[in-house]
Amino acid sequence: MTTPVWLASYPKPGNTWLRVLLANLMQAGPIDLNTLQTADWTAGGRAPFDDLLLIASTLLTPDEADALRPSVYAALAESAGAGPTTAFVKVHDAYLPTPMGEAMLARGARAAILIVRDPRDVTASMAHHSRVTLDQAIAILNDPAGGICLDDNGVSLQFRQRLLDWSGHAASWLNQRDLPVHLVRYEDLLADTVAVFTEALAFVGETVDRARVEQAVERSSFAALQARERAAGFRERAWPGDPSAAPFFRKGLAGEWRTTLTRDQLLCIERAHGPMMRRLGYVLAHADSVA
Amino acid sequence: MFSYNISSLVVDCEIELPGRLAATSNRPAEITIRSAIVPEALDAPIAVAPTWEMTRDQFLLRVPGVARFLVVGDDTILFDAAATATPADLAIFLAGSVFGVLLHLRGYVVLHASAVRVGACAILFCGASGAGKSTIAAALANRGYPVVTDDICAVTIDPVPIVHPDGRQLKLWREAIDALAMSDKAREAVRPSIRKYYVEPPAADRTPMPIGAIYALREPRPPAVIGIQQLPPAVAAAKLHENAYRPRLVDRLGQAGLYFAAATRIASDAGVYHLTRRRDFASMEQVLRSLERHWDAIGLGGRPA
Repeated sequence: MTTPVWLASYPKPGNTWLRVLLANLMQAGPIDLNTLQTADWTAGGRAPFDDLLLIASTLLTPDEADALRPSVYAALAESAGAGPTTAFVKVHDAYLPTPMGEAMLARGARAAILIVRDPRDVTASMAHHSRVTLDQAIAILNDPAGGICLDDNGVSLQFRQRLLDWSGHAASWLNQRDLPVHLVRYEDLLADTVAVFTEALAFVGETVDRARVEQAVERSSFAALQARERAAGFRERAWPGDPSAAPFFRKGLAGEWRTTLTRDQLLCIERAHGPMMRRLGYVLAHADSVA
Repeated sequence: MFSYNISSLVVDCEIELPGRLAATSNRPAEITIRSAIVPEALDAPIAVAPTWEMTRDQFLLRVPGVARFLVVGDDTILFDAAATATPADLAIFLAGSVFGVLLHLRGYVVLHASAVRVGACAILFCGASGAGKSTIAAALANRGYPVVTDDICAVTIDPVPIVHPDGRQLKLWREAIDALAMSDKAREAVRPSIRKYYVEPPAADRTPMPIGAIYALREPRPPAVIGIQQLPPAVAAAKLHENAYRPRLVDRLGQAGLYFAAATRIASDAGVYHLTRRRDFASMEQVLRSLERHWDAIGLGGRPA
């Protein structure tokens, strides 16, 4: 049985990079970024819901859809369980109960890998990806009612996904007791990709020989991904069809915030997220000013 | 009883279905929809999913907070409304999911598509919920092309592929109504709890007609590039199955062969294409112009007056 594993994250933490690593590990040759797939569904997508339940999810309120989403994930997990390899399923939702009180994501997977990134770096990444200012990105990270696809005037191919604020998202996954969760910090993955990736694989019960991991890491280097995106584009980039959109694989650095954020912006983030940043091992720049 | 003409079938329904046009036929009803006590589950089901189950002659669909619906044979739909359900709630699921299941059971090729008439033919736009099918159909209706069907498109192959109009109004989100300046044509919400509304199409056609072309909507995500691309027959077959109203149901009902045969016929008679375009409203005018150029190129012509 290879019941799926959630790849959980607040947006812009390196979730895609981890999926590229996994895909490069599972596949013999180098992967095509534009067919990148570590599972044939994501938690946010509506299509499997509509197809499995025979109900158009767009005719449901977000709460009504949330109440049914666990049954879809359970059914998908059951059918994936017969597969030869683990499906790694991307999910951005915070770990929350449905309106019926059931944990929405408990039945869809046997474990979760939570990927986090310093919120000061998430800020710049989000600003580029979503075409907002740094201050607007900080407001999103600090919004306890934050989420994806919240506008109810139109429709998206994705469900409403409640994120909470950056700290609340991490806390929701780290504090739940339904699923074993393995924490990956983007900064650690960047510093020693082979070791951190191997640990994550061991957590889900995959033992892979070092040479194969090293090869996957090499094929997934940031420079390689940037070159691929320049040559062939990347289907997951925001604003498809708009040539002025920023590249998806932009810098991939750790600590970029030291040169991009003002003191006020740093204070704004650290005051909102100081406790969770400390819990995750991120050193505050203005510890004196943060309670 | 209210009487409707849906996908060339005369339907008698105990409740009024908003968003539907009344029947124009004097034929006796082929389908009856009425209220009844519907069980929570079926005995000895041959297929079970979280919200539905099926026996050899019955199909049960549970929509929590709305109703339990039971399709009996291929001519009767029973509904058992939840206490909180409004008539609009019942109507949208009856006309959508439940009627879609019934059409599947009756052996129609049921596509997730909206369609308008160009010349003498139906032009279909397929895609998942949220892909923009209804919005493109509405934008074309604004240019004078009559709406043929919205969201669910029933097709028969005998031997020419024929589209059977659904007799429905368009259903559009608030955002699309505003962007297309159709507020004067917007009617009631499809459900009181969501911001999607019935919209009177500026023009509609209720007669069955052959298929002129099928466009599968997609965004220009690499490697896809903006434009209209014809699909080779094998890809067209996979695309049609993918855009069945509910692909898993097609497989459960053992109808995959029917869709393959239909796709082969449609690919040769009409043509199946990708319409790759940006999904934003600002690009709509350009998309409509490229469609009209394409219809000229493939000989469909028939600009509305």
